Amino acid sequence: MSHTPFILASYLITTAVLLWIALAPILSKRSLVRQLKGRQKHMDKRQ
Amino acid sequence: MNRFVLFFHKTGSPPWFYRFAGKLTPWLWAGFVVLSACGLYLGLFRSPPDYQQGESVRIMYLHVPAAWMSMMIFALMAVMGFIALVWRIRIMEVLTISSAPVGAAFTLIALITGSLWGRPTWGTYWVWDARLTSELVLLFLYIGVIALYNAYDEPRKAARAAALMAIVGAINLPIIHFSVLWWNTLHQGSSFSATGSSIHPSMLWPLLLMAGAFKFYYGANLLGRARLRLLKQDHRKRWVQELLAGESD
Repeated sequence: MSHTPFILASYLITTAVLLWIALAPILSKRSLVRQLKGRQKHMDKRQ
Repeated sequence: MNRFVLFFHKTGSPPWFYRFAGKLTPWLWAGFVVLSACGLYLGLFRSPPDYQQGESVRIMYLHVPAAWMSMMIFALMAVMGFIALVWRIRIMEVLTISSAPVGAAFTLIALITGSLWGRPTWGTYWVWDARLTSELVLLFLYIGVIALYNAYDEPRKAARAAALMAIVGAINLPIIHFSVLWWNTLHQGSSFSATGSSIHPSMLWPLLLMAGAFKFYYGANLLGRARLRLLKQDHRKRWVQELLAGESD
């Protein structure tokens, strides 16, 4: 039995999981900062 | 005041922690990239195949460090949760709950890579062995902590409930560690002991480098998640508004 598919699958799945876990907070922070800045601009206009 | 005590007090301040974590995070990512590049190079290209496992030993350079991380992160969550409950330090609450997704990811990696290693080596993807089952229980505990936190509307109450669950759940850690000694398991015993390691240096170095890399990854990811959580919780506070006003678009 060739071990290559098992090794490849292990490294690919690990990379995918680690990438997702690393990128999720970065993307969430970007969207949160955009949202908070938008809200702040809106409040500044009202004042 | 002692410098260490002063540092400890400073970490309790969200604005200070936010800035400190922001400065530290790039260095942690750099440490992760350097160590994982060295570990992967040695593990995939320089280390020899094992005389019993063959080429599938290369999966061990991911599986073992991920399994160590899954246990280490839960132990840290229990310690930070205890500090959060006793001293009511909000940063500790934030760090406890921010650790959970990273720990769950490492547990998932340990289970999947272990399963992929088991097929060519043991002839099966899964057995209800004490080590495998207790590691699966650890994944459920991580999911439980995250679910419990999200079940509350008030973040501080949620963090306290999650911290309590992390402390209680830590009972599973010695069960995972000693399972290979307490029960007759298919999973092999530890290759590390108080007197040293039985692994040849050509295989030990990539393993240790990957273990180091995963620790840097956890540090960087934890601080990033903690910063995000602080921004969410304090978005109405002055320090966040000043921070946003100072940041360019």
